Amino acid sequence: MIIRKALSAVSRNRALSLLMILVVLLAGPMPVAAGEEEEAVAWLNRLGPALNMTSYRGVFVYARGDRVHSMQIAHRYNEGVVEERLVLQDGGSGEIVRKGMNVVCVLPERGRIKLDQVIPSGPFAEAFTSQLVPVSRWYRAEMKGGDRVAGYDVVTVALSAKDPYRYSYRLWLEKSTGLLVKSHVRNARGEVLEHFQFTSLQIGENIPDSEFEIRTRGREISRTLGEPAPQASAVQRMDGWQLGWRPDGFMPAAAPRSGKGQAVAFSDGLAAFSVFVEPAGAVNMPTGASRIGATTIYMHKVWDKGRVFLVTVVGELPPQTARQVAESVRIENALALGAGGS
Amino acid sequence: MDDRLRETLSAMMDDEADELSVRRLLSHGSQDEVRAQWQRWQDVRDLLHDGHSPAHGVDVSVAVRELLDGRTSASARSRVLRPNTNVRRWHWPAAAMVATALLIGFGAGAGWDSSDVGPLQPATAAAPEPEPEVSTQDQPVREIALQGLDDEQWEYMSRYLLEHAQHNSVGAGRGAVGYARLVSANGNGY
Repeated sequence: MIIRKALSAVSRNRALSLLMILVVLLAGPMPVAAGEEEEAVAWLNRLGPALNMTSYRGVFVYARGDRVHSMQIAHRYNEGVVEERLVLQDGGSGEIVRKGMNVVCVLPERGRIKLDQVIPSGPFAEAFTSQLVPVSRWYRAEMKGGDRVAGYDVVTVALSAKDPYRYSYRLWLEKSTGLLVKSHVRNARGEVLEHFQFTSLQIGENIPDSEFEIRTRGREISRTLGEPAPQASAVQRMDGWQLGWRPDGFMPAAAPRSGKGQAVAFSDGLAAFSVFVEPAGAVNMPTGASRIGATTIYMHKVWDKGRVFLVTVVGELPPQTARQVAESVRIENALALGAGGS
Repeated sequence: MDDRLRETLSAMMDDEADELSVRRLLSHGSQDEVRAQWQRWQDVRDLLHDGHSPAHGVDVSVAVRELLDGRTSASARSRVLRPNTNVRRWHWPAAAMVATALLIGFGAGAGWDSSDVGPLQPATAAAPEPEPEVSTQDQPVREIALQGLDDEQWEYMSRYLLEHAQHNSVGAGRGAVGYARLVSANGNGY
């Protein structure tokens, strides 16, 4: 009798264990997946502040296809002010130094980069934190485990595009600071379009003032960048034209003012694209798409009341998406676009 | 009717049945069942080929049996050519039923799809922005080789690239990458 009771108890326990295992197996994957996505999003939220507020210096490479470029970077966050210096490591010598919104640029005369063109493009981390875009709505976020990059332990976050209108990303973030130390941009076929990676890096060091001084001899140009425009004004900046379509999730971005006017930037929190509309000028531009790594430049001409306008979409978008955006532009007021008087 | 007889019937439809198998089929106890099966398959074949075979609605068993027995009679020939009007009446309703079933099937599927997709596209539903041509996404995009641009065109394009690098520093916080793209586009590097 006792044996039968004991056997019965064992049997009940085994059934209970099996039931628990079954419950864990059935219910387990969903919370883990949801937790994983939350963890990935939490890491992404650290990305922007880390890029601005972490002090670091090192050398990074940028590769697309068989082209590789390297740059030295020093970055510090000192009493609320971002200071940064970028130095070209190959090709001609040149550098860009920034202190707050003041930028000083020294680039070689050779090559086709003109100084006055570079100045308005402050190539610096900016107000990413103000972009409260729910990235996980447009990308499936997954944690891909740990790794080691440039001597630092990192976590890998994979962001797979949920629609064909954007690219997928893989980001390697340093564990203690969240600093981006490596990234891949992939197309729908999984091909890596561009690769960014630190090859040497020191994080959190006290970087002396001397590291932020211009050392290259050459023509210098200094300029103060305008404050980022508030988001609402993005619509106002579309003077005389309207964008008929853009992929879901791309919101007008708070972009620093850059002089020329009719440009509007959009971001989904990860990728960004800019739309430029202006009367076609003396330069006869071809129409179609050019690609530089993950960046597509799509040029499209629009005719309105006998006048020709050039629509240019530049962004980290597949060429088909850039074309759809460009072709959706409607000219509403040619005068506002500066096409009057001719 | 067992599988072997069905196989024979199927072979007969493809004109590949041997005499022994056909004799076995014709001596099967339930000839009504064999005929019904034959007619069903003919109906299916008609639907697939969008027409109807001359054999449809025709009871060929007697003629076949007589031919196998070496007896060809005028009566048999007349029976072969006389259509079975009762069965024929069922042909188009059957086709219509299949077609209706397909339509209902697809319709129901479409209904489920749309109800599933609806909540996933709230932005589209909320913003009455015109959708672009669906075919655009599939059409090949004309490529412009950067190497093919003259200096003026390059300068024009690089201005946009530079301005975007600035915008991108806002969106992704990766301004250094934007600058690297520009340098890369400029043609230096190793």
